Amino acid sequence: MTYEESLKQLEDIVRQMEAGNYSIDQLAEKLTQAQQLITQCKEKLYKTDSEIKKILEKR
Amino acid sequence: MELIQKEEHSNTPIARASAKCWQSTWGMLGPYFERTTGQPLHAGLKVRLQVYPQFHEAYGFSWIITDIDPTFTLGDMARRRQEIIRQLKEEGVFDLQKELTLPLFSLNIAVISSQSAAGYGDFVNQLSDSPYDFHTQLFPAIMQGEQVEESIVNALNAIYNVCADQQTLAFDCVVIIRGGGATADLSGFDALKLAENVAQFPIPIITGIGHDRDESILDMVSHTRVKTPTAAAQLLISHMDSTSQRIDTCGERINTFFSLLKTREEARIEKIASYLSPLVFHLLEREQHKLEMLEQRAKALDPALLLKRGYSITLHNGHLLRNAAEVEPGTELETRLEQGTIISIVK
Repeated sequence: MTYEESLKQLEDIVRQMEAGNYSIDQLAEKLTQAQQLITQCKEKLYKTDSEIKKILEKR
Repeated sequence: MELIQKEEHSNTPIARASAKCWQSTWGMLGPYFERTTGQPLHAGLKVRLQVYPQFHEAYGFSWIITDIDPTFTLGDMARRRQEIIRQLKEEGVFDLQKELTLPLFSLNIAVISSQSAAGYGDFVNQLSDSPYDFHTQLFPAIMQGEQVEESIVNALNAIYNVCADQQTLAFDCVVIIRGGGATADLSGFDALKLAENVAQFPIPIITGIGHDRDESILDMVSHTRVKTPTAAAQLLISHMDSTSQRIDTCGERINTFFSLLKTREEARIEKIASYLSPLVFHLLEREQHKLEMLEQRAKALDPALLLKRGYSITLHNGHLLRNAAEVEPGTELETRLEQGTIISIVK
């Protein structure tokens, strides 16, 4: 999944939650999924950051 | 020497005469001519001489030279230069080199120079002292005298052949340099064939043939003209400096751009993340509230409350009894009170 896709999915979960579209049974599961997406997005962002730094240092 | 007048536009002599100059006279005229025209008297020059005729029984007839007019020769040279320039423009080749671009990484250099020239050594040393990985290959040529034209054209052909063999432009540019040595005799660089070859060469040509006077035609048709071999080396080094600078700038821009992007994306993620837990807590609270309301309503309906207030519930066969007509005499009923149960028979 690309960074944009992950972020879009995350935003979608929050939107659905705000609209009250999840049952209490789904809530915990959706929250876990959201946290995983947050971690994924952050990891991708930091990985890109360090990759770019490495590439630029190679000069 | 022999004086020859040739037919206009051809090499056919139409008049010929022998001329002599006494050693003592030439001792003054020679240097004067060379100083003014920038070259020694040589075959092919047009001259205006002051002479008187002499007849010698043993050597025959000759003109004895008493004076020479170098400005006449200078004028003729200038006229010939103009003629070459006009011809090059007419052929449409005069500006061809200017249309070429010196590659960003001009590191492979073909050098046309005389091997022993001090200028060549300076040029190579200066490049190897630079931080860049320059590669030079010498194509030796005679850089002075009458063979200049032929010799440089041959060197250009040799460079062209190297490229043709490798089927690529093996060199990023050609540098024609000449440095040190005797006073400049630049007439060799004002030649049509040489200019045509340089102008139409597919690789940018830089000239550094060291002189302060007017540009030679070779300089005019080349891609870039500098004064000395050292200046040519400096030009190539500065060119690499600016390329390297461009790369550095791009690197910095990527860096800046990405830190901005990173900050923006971090903020985006954080914003969503900060929504999440309050939202979930809010949802849970709402559900809890709903449950509490239900609990209260359920409590209000608890029959124990009615029993406590003195009401009782009568059951028949475990079912609530609401209508006395539903039972017949003799039926056993169960009545629940706040405390205990009564079993009774209907009369």
